[in-house]
Amino acid sequence: MSAIKFSKIRVLETGYRSAAVNMAIDEALIESIDESPVFRVYGWRPAAVSIGYFQSIRDEVDIEKCSEIGVDIVRRLTGGGAVLHEFELTYSFITKRYPQNIMESYLWICEALLMSIKRLGFNASFVPLNDVVINGKKVSGSAQTRRKGVLLQHGTVLLNVDVDKMFSILKVPSEKIRDKIIKDVKQRVTSLEGITFDDMASSLKTSFATKFDARLVSDFLSTNEVSRAKCLTEGKFSSKEWNFRR
Amino acid sequence: MYKSQKLIRIALEYDERENTINSITISGDFFLYPEEALEALEAQLIGTKLERDTLKQDIDRYLKNSEAYGFDSISLTEAILGCKTE
Repeated sequence: MSAIKFSKIRVLETGYRSAAVNMAIDEALIESIDESPVFRVYGWRPAAVSIGYFQSIRDEVDIEKCSEIGVDIVRRLTGGGAVLHEFELTYSFITKRYPQNIMESYLWICEALLMSIKRLGFNASFVPLNDVVINGKKVSGSAQTRRKGVLLQHGTVLLNVDVDKMFSILKVPSEKIRDKIIKDVKQRVTSLEGITFDDMASSLKTSFATKFDARLVSDFLSTNEVSRAKCLTEGKFSSKEWNFRR
Repeated sequence: MYKSQKLIRIALEYDERENTINSITISGDFFLYPEEALEALEAQLIGTKLERDTLKQDIDRYLKNSEAYGFDSISLTEAILGCKTE
């Protein structure tokens, strides 16, 4: 396992934002990163569906239904599947120093995630490539991208889950087996019931500091980052060109 | 649509007479690093014969500097060929 450590980690708690703003901030942070990694925690308001970089929005999401119930839709910078972001905490970790091996780098970051969930009293374990499970049920999924020598990994920790709502807005490969799929997902997904956003954020911060032997430095987005995120929100993550590109 | 370790969806237009790809879009919940490799692959597959060995070899060649999680050249080949009979 990689022995990469950091003297400090910049911590950003950016609160609840719209889907496009959340993804824009992540990309702005990839661009602005310096030698210290950034650890960000955030939520989504309104609730949102994010789709993976390679997914087709029309194939994955009931766009009309989302519009009707006020759920945002955004394409992520990262691969993987569609996620409903509602009762959860999302984190991002952005760094210039990381294990080059992809599987190793997922484990490297997910270990901190695992520590934080265990600290809250849950018997969690890591399942490669990118999941954390409790008694075999998924509670957290992560995804990463690497751009110009910078790694961003973001992921969610479920604090509650509403599978029926999830499948009211996500399309399924076959309508004939919709009920079976929903039943399967209910059996395979769990959440950290009773844990608040703040509990989780606090545990994550402690774990990232411990895992990377780093001092945490609470910070805010810089003026340049805010400005760049605004530009990316309007020009990219709210645009049809980006969200409907596949 | 093809279920490998992840779901792969293919939109394919092909020349029936020549048995070659006119255009292809590959989507799904897989991971590919770097991400841009997928668009490059789609562009490079235009004109490729829809024959199992040729297709697999071309995919292997085009993805040789990438890392895919959730599919491999065999499953992608089968997904593409599966479109011909759907």
